[in-house]
Amino acid sequence: MAGAASHVDMWDHKPLLSQRDGQPWDPGEKVELFQSTPGACFGCPWAFKPYGRSGKMLSDIVAPLGAVVDDLAFVHNVVGKTGVHSQGTLLQTTGFQLPGFPSAGSWVSYALGSESDNLPSFVVLPDHRGLASNGSKNWANAFLPAQHQGTVIRPGNAEPIADLHAPKSDFISPASDRAGLDLLGRLNRGYAQERPGDDRLQARIRSYELAAAMQLSATDALDVASEPSYIRDMYGLASEGEGVDDTIINTKAETEFFGRKCLVARRLLERGVRFVQIWSGNDNGHPRRNWDSHEDVKRDHEPLSLGMAHGAAALIKDLKQRGMLEDTLILWTTEFGRMPCSQGSKGRDHNPFVFTNWLCGGGIQGGTYGESDEWGFRPQDRANATSVYDVHATVLHQLGIDHTKLTVRYNSIDRRLTDVHGHVLKGMVG
Amino acid sequence: MNWRYSLALLPWCIHAASPDFEKDVAPILEARCLSCHDESSAKGEVRLDTREQLLTSIRLGQPDDSELIKQISGSKPEMPKKAAPLKAHEVAILRQWIASGATWPEQRVLKDNPPRDLKWWSLKPISKRDVKNSSTNPVDDFINAKLAEKGLKPVGEVDSITLIRRLTYDLTGLPPTPDEVEAFAESNSTNTYVATVERLLASPAFGEKWAQHWLDLARYGETHGYDKDKPRPNAWPYRDYVIRSFNEDKSYPQFVQEQIAGDALYPGQPDGILGLGFLAAGPWDYIGHSEVGEGKVDGRIAKHLDRDEMISAVFNVFTSTTVQCAQCHHHKFDPVRMEDYYRLHAVFAAVDRADRVYRGLKPEQEKERTALQGQINGLRAEQTKLQAEAKSELSARTSGIERRLEELRKKHASPLLPQYGYHSSISKKQDEVKWVQVDLGRAQEIEQVRLIPAFDTYNNIGAGFGFPVRYKVEASLDAAFQQGVRLVRDATNQDQSNPRSTDVLIDVGGDDARYIRITATRLAPRKDDYIFALGEVEVSGGENHDNIAKGCAVSSLDSIESGPRWGRSNLTDSIFHRELNDPVALAELRQLEAQKTEIETSLKNPQREARLKILGEQLGKLNSQLKTFPKGEVIYAATTDFTAQGAFKPTAGQPRPIHLLNRGDIRSPRALMHPGMTPLWPGAVAEFALPARAPESSARAELAKAIASAENPLLWRSMVNRLWLWTFSQPLVGTPNDFGRMGMQPTHPELLDYLAARLRDDPQHSLKSIIRLLVTSQAYRRASDHDESNAQIDSNNAYLWRANRRRLTAEEFRDSVLTVSGMMNLERRGGPSFQDFIIEKPQHSPHYEYALHDPEDAASHRRSIYRFVVRSQPQPLLTTLDCADPSQSVPYRDESTTALQALTQWNNRLVEVMSRHFAERLQQAPDVVTQACQLALGRTPTEAEKAALNEHLRTYGSASLARVIFNLNAFVYLD
Repeated sequence: MAGAASHVDMWDHKPLLSQRDGQPWDPGEKVELFQSTPGACFGCPWAFKPYGRSGKMLSDIVAPLGAVVDDLAFVHNVVGKTGVHSQGTLLQTTGFQLPGFPSAGSWVSYALGSESDNLPSFVVLPDHRGLASNGSKNWANAFLPAQHQGTVIRPGNAEPIADLHAPKSDFISPASDRAGLDLLGRLNRGYAQERPGDDRLQARIRSYELAAAMQLSATDALDVASEPSYIRDMYGLASEGEGVDDTIINTKAETEFFGRKCLVARRLLERGVRFVQIWSGNDNGHPRRNWDSHEDVKRDHEPLSLGMAHGAAALIKDLKQRGMLEDTLILWTTEFGRMPCSQGSKGRDHNPFVFTNWLCGGGIQGGTYGESDEWGFRPQDRANATSVYDVHATVLHQLGIDHTKLTVRYNSIDRRLTDVHGHVLKGMVG
Repeated sequence: MNWRYSLALLPWCIHAASPDFEKDVAPILEARCLSCHDESSAKGEVRLDTREQLLTSIRLGQPDDSELIKQISGSKPEMPKKAAPLKAHEVAILRQWIASGATWPEQRVLKDNPPRDLKWWSLKPISKRDVKNSSTNPVDDFINAKLAEKGLKPVGEVDSITLIRRLTYDLTGLPPTPDEVEAFAESNSTNTYVATVERLLASPAFGEKWAQHWLDLARYGETHGYDKDKPRPNAWPYRDYVIRSFNEDKSYPQFVQEQIAGDALYPGQPDGILGLGFLAAGPWDYIGHSEVGEGKVDGRIAKHLDRDEMISAVFNVFTSTTVQCAQCHHHKFDPVRMEDYYRLHAVFAAVDRADRVYRGLKPEQEKERTALQGQINGLRAEQTKLQAEAKSELSARTSGIERRLEELRKKHASPLLPQYGYHSSISKKQDEVKWVQVDLGRAQEIEQVRLIPAFDTYNNIGAGFGFPVRYKVEASLDAAFQQGVRLVRDATNQDQSNPRSTDVLIDVGGDDARYIRITATRLAPRKDDYIFALGEVEVSGGENHDNIAKGCAVSSLDSIESGPRWGRSNLTDSIFHRELNDPVALAELRQLEAQKTEIETSLKNPQREARLKILGEQLGKLNSQLKTFPKGEVIYAATTDFTAQGAFKPTAGQPRPIHLLNRGDIRSPRALMHPGMTPLWPGAVAEFALPARAPESSARAELAKAIASAENPLLWRSMVNRLWLWTFSQPLVGTPNDFGRMGMQPTHPELLDYLAARLRDDPQHSLKSIIRLLVTSQAYRRASDHDESNAQIDSNNAYLWRANRRRLTAEEFRDSVLTVSGMMNLERRGGPSFQDFIIEKPQHSPHYEYALHDPEDAASHRRSIYRFVVRSQPQPLLTTLDCADPSQSVPYRDESTTALQALTQWNNRLVEVMSRHFAERLQQAPDVVTQACQLALGRTPTEAEKAALNEHLRTYGSASLARVIFNLNAFVYLD
């Protein structure tokens, strides 16, 4: 969730904020905020209600997730290291605050290899309105081999994968395309035969064959229209598709955008893609189309969150009904949380001191692990907060990888996704 | 040898006095164990830094049963990992100490304290060797000796057509022309080869190719990266500087010095400033610096990381040393201590990354301008601080009220009707008197006058628009208000607070009257002028207490009569704006507004307001003064003086205080650090001796001189290894940015030292002369043929029994496609970069849209080195082909092979467009296929190729043929 989603407005229920709404907020320490100075206590503008067997309290803007809430493992005491979007986002995606490190998806691709020859192992579904902070650095392979970089797919776009098909051209026809590739293969094989002992030459021939296979399988994977209508409805797809009106931020459009990505993600996972990154929210342009609600939490969070919750709940139900949830792990995250006090009168500033993650599927036990304090300002137990390293270690653990052993030496350091930190969240993995 | 045996050998230990903790025991533990077993690392959850922790690893009095002793003794001790075992006497001391009860002074905590061990190949002085055989190229002496030693037989010399293609690409990054190939093949002699090498080294394309290698290292990009990824329009002069430095064959140590401290060491010379583009070339956290700033922890972290980025670049690139590993603890493998690392922070403590002038401004002008800029920055900082203070004081107390107000307004909003009310002419003076009056038609009894303030969205003024600051209300029977005037409200003696949306009620009573006049004696202020406006006047009277003013005639001293909003008749039309349509809500609104006003008044600080006014005036004056200076030519570089941007302010040469940071944490500062570095070679100093009040740049100058000194073995070894890599596509030391213990060792240490000494001892320190030496060797001119028996011994060709076949780099591929198709404009050298994207939404976070760029755009038909390098959205074609990531120093390119590459090379629009142009170029050719191969592959086609290509040409045309050729292995690989 690019821009930093507000934990206290979604799933970290803090009745005290509503009780003291509008009164001065005093957490008993000096608070340094990103943009502003702390305003008054700011109660969540939506009601919280209990859901599931557990009675977990969820706000109205994530109500769709109520149906699957018992499968979710909430971690309400995640702490960040910075209140700066770019660094916070990199920390989530790569485990480091600086650019230049491989994305978690690249690590997983590197560790597990590809399950499908015809699709990339790591796929990224960015918000079509613009890339979040750091752009493609969030799915860069950095010092891992290039095949582990995230491949951007834009469902609903005329060209969902760059250069997947030949451009419109007066000299390219399906026949010339085919004949050209045949000729290329023949000549490249001849070149390789004259130069024995060089695997790269064979690999390059093979890469053109894979490319042709990818044209077919990617097209198939993205064919959302082939889904039955009850599935499309379940994900909340709009009849207008991505052309749905977005001139004023609204729930219908956000549901379509996020739901379509979730549905495509399921189709990709079914076909052997290892890791899918789904983004909600773009850069910090105007009008705001991300979660960075400095001005107006209600305006941005309601449609974004309802859209996200609708799609995410559909994905979980769908994976479950297909028996895929056992071996598919979902991690919901954002760069940091938002403050319990107001910024201006209706916004919230950044809160890197505590925020929420949740995990689901892949052997994760539902429940709540780790609490924030009465304000949702800091972890309740500051000495035992959860770090991004812990979450990454847990994700790798569930994929059968020891996070301390997945290393690559680069510039003389044995680099890991979890740097030199991280503990598997034992309670959650049973 | 097991421990029992060693014990028997050293009986004196048992009987000797118990070892002294401080003298004997602590130094061993601190030097050999604590780097992994202190509080911060605790590898294997073992700690040895306190007695309590140690006790979990030993049994008191029982060395034999102590895990610690088990781990460090035996024939192959488990510990220390990745380091030499402890010496026998050290083990004996620890045994003895445990046996005698392991005394440990109360509260003593051990700290990692590794010895500064310089015994490592890269840190030793360069050994200078004489070359045995003066008739051959010395490179071959070393290479051949190693081949013989390994039992490898070099393959023969490559054919001249392959050689000219290889050499031309390696030295210029471009394909040879068919004429060049032909001329070279015809007169194949050593002289021709040498002449060709000279021609290529002298060609401007040489610098364009070799600068790319350097820019990869320098992490050069033209946007900031991170959040928003704003462009850096003035980064390119550094790129041109690097190209020119390679072409001019600048002395290498000078090149290095210019890039660390050119301003101090080459004052008055543009290259002294241009070189500083290196320090600034990497990513920069715009938000962390300019929106957060060093007043906050996050801003200080950003600044710390920013310096770390600079320091890492300097040491990784110039000395192949990973100093950055000593940020949180001493370097685990190399002799770099935390103090060393933080001394480097002190060296760079005053510089930031910003635009600075390198030419076109006289030194005295620059001084003046800098001073002026400093003054402006100071005043602006004060202004920002005062404004923020005022704002935050207010918002801390009113944010709850604001939210409720907003809610009320949203819920009970009533539309703003176009008939606003009466509006006087605009006056330049506030104390002009203006009046407006209502004629009730006849004399009658008046109970009350109600003044309803106007409402206008202009300048966000809203309620109370134009309501006078001082005014009076009078009643009379005389239209001219000369006789029988009754004053019913006098508010002329002091300024009135604006009633905003509250009606002003005035009881009248008494004698009958016909006219009601409202006179403003002090007008309402707007931005630069003054007015008087009212929304409505109601007069209640008569039997039914109705509004008897409704529809009555209105006259006034003046009126702007700007319909439909403002007109005299609007004052009595019964149309006026009510902020809320619900009276209860309106009452609450008024109450809240009153509260807010009260808070605002209570927080008013006249001193602050007066100061802000003065600041605004002064800034205006200074800014217009600043505009009188010539702009000069500007580069984005390391600097201490620049225009402040938000919270990002220059140090004006005053270094920030630098502390050693416990565990690298900005919140745990320890000792204050002085400028210095890590003494990695004999004679290198740790702390610089700087005169008191030395300018900031003198610390950088000291560092630059030390790094670029003849005594620094790393400098010379590092660079010749890179030159070797860039010539042979494979380095002598496999980790070019790391010559430390985690790096690789040289395959040819003597050769490396020979070349290093040669570069060092050459008075010109000429890089070209080293490159010349390398490319004229036999080793360089070998074929790339496979040989099974050699491959059995050395499959990776580490010893160079053949040449390395390599793929064109991303830039070489693009440049070749443009060149071969005849569209490349080689003459447009230098200057601002071409952009092969369209920028959308530039105001906030620019979107760099490559897909929207037209590949036919002639401005982009330049060499790839002149491309505008974006960090967040890298060029898709070049990135897929493994071009360098500008976020980090990239010593060598990957050569990956992926399906996405195939898709890109086959389907990319640039390739499609250039295929068509290539076809046009071939139109006049007598033999299309032969000429196509000569241009693209540097050779004529074989018969089989010719037949196959001709067949495709006949059926699908020359453009489709060109597309195939651009994808051939024969095009993308160099033998």
